[in-house]
Amino acid sequence: MLDKLSTWARKRSPWVYHINASSCNGCDIELVASLTPTYDVERFGAVLVPSPRHADVLIVTGTVNAQTRDRLRKVYEQMPEPKHVIALGACTATGGVFKGCYNAAQGVEEVIPVDMFIPGCPPRPEAIMYGVLKLLGEVK
Amino acid sequence: MSETKKVESAGLMKYSTENLVPFGPIHPALKEPEYFKLVLEGEKIVEVIPRIGYVHRGLEKAAESRPWVQNMYMFERTCGICSFVHSLCYGQAVEGLTMYEVPKRAKYIRLIIAELERIHSHLLWVGLMGHWAGFETLFMWVWRDREIVLDIVEAISGNRVHKSMNAFCGVRRDMPENMEDRIVEKMKYLADRARYYREVIDTEETMLERTEKVGKVSADTAEKLCAVGPMARYVGIQHDVRLNAPYAAYDEVPFSIVTRNEGDVQGLLRLRLDELLVSTDLVTYAVKHLPEGPTRVKIPPIIPAGEHSSHCEAPRGEIFYYVKSTGGRTPDRVKSRQPTMANLPTALEMLKGQTIADVPIVLTAIDPCFGCMDRMSFLDTETNKTWTWSGEKLRQYGIKYYKERRT
Amino acid sequence: MSEVFLQRVESCAADAKSKVTQLRTHELLTEVEQEYVKQYVSKLWNDGITRRLSTITGLDLGQKIGIVYHFWQGKDVLHVRTTVPKTNAAAVSIVDIIPGAILYEMEIHDLFGVTFGGNPWMDKKLLLPESWPDDLPPPLLKTSKPSEIRKRLKLEVEGK
Repeated sequence: MLDKLSTWARKRSPWVYHINASSCNGCDIELVASLTPTYDVERFGAVLVPSPRHADVLIVTGTVNAQTRDRLRKVYEQMPEPKHVIALGACTATGGVFKGCYNAAQGVEEVIPVDMFIPGCPPRPEAIMYGVLKLLGEVK
Repeated sequence: MSETKKVESAGLMKYSTENLVPFGPIHPALKEPEYFKLVLEGEKIVEVIPRIGYVHRGLEKAAESRPWVQNMYMFERTCGICSFVHSLCYGQAVEGLTMYEVPKRAKYIRLIIAELERIHSHLLWVGLMGHWAGFETLFMWVWRDREIVLDIVEAISGNRVHKSMNAFCGVRRDMPENMEDRIVEKMKYLADRARYYREVIDTEETMLERTEKVGKVSADTAEKLCAVGPMARYVGIQHDVRLNAPYAAYDEVPFSIVTRNEGDVQGLLRLRLDELLVSTDLVTYAVKHLPEGPTRVKIPPIIPAGEHSSHCEAPRGEIFYYVKSTGGRTPDRVKSRQPTMANLPTALEMLKGQTIADVPIVLTAIDPCFGCMDRMSFLDTETNKTWTWSGEKLRQYGIKYYKERRT
Repeated sequence: MSEVFLQRVESCAADAKSKVTQLRTHELLTEVEQEYVKQYVSKLWNDGITRRLSTITGLDLGQKIGIVYHFWQGKDVLHVRTTVPKTNAAAVSIVDIIPGAILYEMEIHDLFGVTFGGNPWMDKKLLLPESWPDDLPPPLLKTSKPSEIRKRLKLEVEGK
């Protein structure tokens, strides 16, 4: 019974932690724009939290490079279960435009497991909201 | 095990490793390199050591193995906020190696998109300043106005952020029909909003106490440290590539440079909002006087041998590209220098003498890419305490510090 | 090209035993030996011929490494090029004349392996990760391969 209640609460109000792993900031500003009055993702209960220990969902942007790879892993390990990972943008899927660069991993999946990819360069705020809500629909 | 090595550099940036090396793990579970290491004496900052490289992906090396035209769209993604001006600067550097001329209509369209990008970048920055100072309302309102600019950009180019409008010797798309009235009306609205925000920052207590007399640097220091863009103009230096070395259509439109003399963060706020007003005027003028003609000249994929450089005025300052060709399908060397790197020494100078609570405002004032504001580590030489804070913790500390000072 | 600028640059170059070539209407190039670099830059900067340094670029020229300083004044651009040998690459630093050049020299040190004598931050890395192996050559040399660097930095999963 308590399990069902906590799952319902998590679906209704996902706490999101955002980490920028060597991104060009295009995806980051579209993510922040989804918090602003025109798109307003907060009406769905999503809130950006300052620490990974309070988060249900991790949003990653950017191609991971050697400096940020270890930090990304540590942040993922710090998140409490059950946790989900959303990879935002083309860079996180395959490396994007930076395929072949010497300090860029070819996709975030090489570092941490991912639950959902949101494609785009950068994806529109509506696409981001759609992706987050779709992921929550998968939460059992 | 501390080294006592004091090295003087040019008398302007003293560096000392006393009591600093080795730092050791601060939190055993979170050992990672920080962006800034700040050395304190009590509350005041005496030394800042930068550590960047978080967004270093190896673009310059990758550019040497890709065709010329592919590089244009790769360099666009160096930065999401000033992406157009990156591709413009690279395009101009390569065009200079060929003997083709850019058509007039293309120059005007390039100017329009570059100025729209400047407006969106300055609005973004003003919003972020509000966020870091604890003034959330300003942040929300300014970002809502920013959506107007993004709508216009999307109507012209099809994308809100990475416009991909540039091509060698021209632009890829033409201005759509019936855009003129819409743009002029929206520019007028944005100019009114900018004037309103100008009033707000001049009168609102929260902003004034956090920005007045904070972050001072002398004009002589700024010039020696190679400051560019608003960081040079806010101490009175007439440094603006649009005025000194006009490119695109800047020599044909009425452009006036904006400089200020206060030399503090309040001056930077006023400077960027005034620049916004100038940009809205430029866009209105360019749209009304758009010449007829072709938008593009197709050039062969092999660029003649030689070397050329080009610079443009990005929203954050002077952006510089140097290109070397050996007559092939791929470049021999491409060098790109972003304005934030040129402004970093000046930012480090600005931080000296400030308190920890001022750090977020001063660092945001130089308009850096915010992926780098992740983590900062501190060392107090008086108590020998070391600690690491996240950006969010620092922001909360700053807001609380000033709130307590008021009561 | 401003006549005054051209004349002043030519007189500086003559003192430093180097020639001035005009590449285009507004672009000049001078080649200078390492021993004359400081004197040349000092004259350019302190006499007010130019007060704008855009950046410093590194080039792989086969047997040597080229270092190009980019100055500008108004519409005119001046490239000052000097070379150092590839092995034990040591160059002279201009940080005591133009303090703002410190980060540009650090970048060339990271990417090409050139040590600038007189630059106080040569022991620090600016762009490369801390985990960069000591035996891996600098990335922007023509002989360095991105795929190899990615493997050494452990950014590539085996079998992909």
